[in-house]
Amino acid sequence: MPMTDNSAGKTGATPEGVRARDRLALLTADNAAVPLPAGVQAITAILLAVLLIALPWLGLGYRFLSIAITTLYTAIGLYGLGLQFGQAGIMSVGHAALMGVGAYASAILSVQLGLGFWTSLPFAMALSAIVGGVIGLPTLRVGGQHYIIITFCFCALFVIVLTNGGTFTGSATGLDVGSVTPLPGINFDKLSNNYYLVLAALFLALAATYLIGISRYGRTLRAIRENEQLARSVGINVDLHKLGVLMVSGLFAGLAGVLQLYYLRHISPTLFGAFPSLYLALMVMLGGARYLYGPLIGAVVVNFLPEVLNLDPVDSRIAYGVCLLLVILLLPGGVGAGIKNICCAIRGGSETQVGGSNGRA
Amino acid sequence: MAALEVRGLRKQFGGVVALNGIDLDIDTDRVVGIVGPNGSGKTTLFNVVSGVHPATGGTVFWQGQDITNIGAHRIARKRLVRTFQQAMSFPGLTVDENVRIAWEQGRRGGGRWTSPGMILDFVGLAPLGRTIAGSLPFGSLRRLGLAVALGVSPELLLLDEPGAGLNDSEAQAFASVIAQLPPQGIGVCLIDHDMDMMSDLCDRLVVLDFGTKIAEGPPSQVLADPKVREVYLGPDKKAAAP
Repeated sequence: MPMTDNSAGKTGATPEGVRARDRLALLTADNAAVPLPAGVQAITAILLAVLLIALPWLGLGYRFLSIAITTLYTAIGLYGLGLQFGQAGIMSVGHAALMGVGAYASAILSVQLGLGFWTSLPFAMALSAIVGGVIGLPTLRVGGQHYIIITFCFCALFVIVLTNGGTFTGSATGLDVGSVTPLPGINFDKLSNNYYLVLAALFLALAATYLIGISRYGRTLRAIRENEQLARSVGINVDLHKLGVLMVSGLFAGLAGVLQLYYLRHISPTLFGAFPSLYLALMVMLGGARYLYGPLIGAVVVNFLPEVLNLDPVDSRIAYGVCLLLVILLLPGGVGAGIKNICCAIRGGSETQVGGSNGRA
Repeated sequence: MAALEVRGLRKQFGGVVALNGIDLDIDTDRVVGIVGPNGSGKTTLFNVVSGVHPATGGTVFWQGQDITNIGAHRIARKRLVRTFQQAMSFPGLTVDENVRIAWEQGRRGGGRWTSPGMILDFVGLAPLGRTIAGSLPFGSLRRLGLAVALGVSPELLLLDEPGAGLNDSEAQAFASVIAQLPPQGIGVCLIDHDMDMMSDLCDRLVVLDFGTKIAEGPPSQVLADPKVREVYLGPDKKAAAP
């Protein structure tokens, strides 16, 4: 005999009160767990892909395209961070250092062994993944803020090591590399071609994030994020999956780092220190780590905000701070959550179940 | 040989002895109740058997294998599954996803459910599939806790106070679901304070006090035991069990 729900209908609120509260809840709720219909998802994906592919042809200028490339490779790194923070709940404020591992690995392979972009890429990504896993070992013992401090320390240590690495790491001056080895008919010295290279990598990162999100693996990670003890008691190997997701995140970071290296052609330790790491954390929180387009939105906002508002570096830092405070207060799930909630509200609240005990699908 | 055999199980937290050499046999074809005053070691027993806390001494055998301290997730994969006293869920995920996570884990090596929907139907949560678990009312959250545990396709279910916080009709409905489990091959071992419900539901009662087993047997016999009455009611009172 199935049980009947006796607890529903206990709420004594008037229907108007319930509706107003539900509407409010719809706009501020964390809707990451509720999927949008396939049609909406497909249209969003196609529109975004068309916009990104058409970008170099819109005549927005060299400077705009440069910022766009920076935005996209940053976004790739952010997708790794989004995976570990948004899905598995492990935040890091040392993520730029992990990108730096990839970038420096590729640069050192180029300088010492003469390996090009394509041949050094797998090694750089693998090294980032391994380092990601090794820094992740403390997560098995400590969580939350404690782990965040450890990642911050790693970041500081990484910069110190690079600065004192002599000619091997180029010390404070850094290292230079050539351009991306051309593919038949494609010369990556041309800025728009470099843009398409980074864009292709972004599409890969997006696809991987989407597939992980809808897969059993994604659900396993979310279970760990939501309740580690319960996850263990249903048979999930929490420790293994925590290290695993940090390694996957390291793969993304390595890819982003190598793309950054071959776009800038020159890297130095300051690119991967505390400030860039904090910016990555800011971007992922601003955009919404749990949402497919959240990291991309965060990267776009932070990279283009000073350009659009014509801010100098000091003013833009103030603007970031204000933005982050506003997002934390008004949209705890990030801008991605806000956009999704508006979508859900437009489509009517009947599909999404948030708050209240009157949940009938 | 019983499915679960606990031999001389000890657990110490610093100087506090929570379990002082417990022996217990539990089969998977019946409902066994564990009772005892607060602090008598009931939940600690579950925590040590299910691998949440390591044992200080003694052994736990499950289906003939030593599972002492092999880790909570490995024990769950052997289909010895527990629920928690505080109604637990994955609060930020939908009810569907909560059950699906457990079902996907239980499906390894062949589970008993062909879809997560079956489990939701069984516990009566099917209409709430798209609700975020954290916003469920307490009664439904308790049922979700049971659904998640059932999702792993357990052969023995350790239920830690499944009725706590439920009103009478909810508790009755819950008890009727629990009573259906042993005939389907899911053994139940439960902790609860509601003696009326426990004596109706359980085939056997085990009484713990200060980390030791002081009585075991059919409910009527155990509840008439003077030692049990003393633990529960104090030496002088003659009132009925709580």
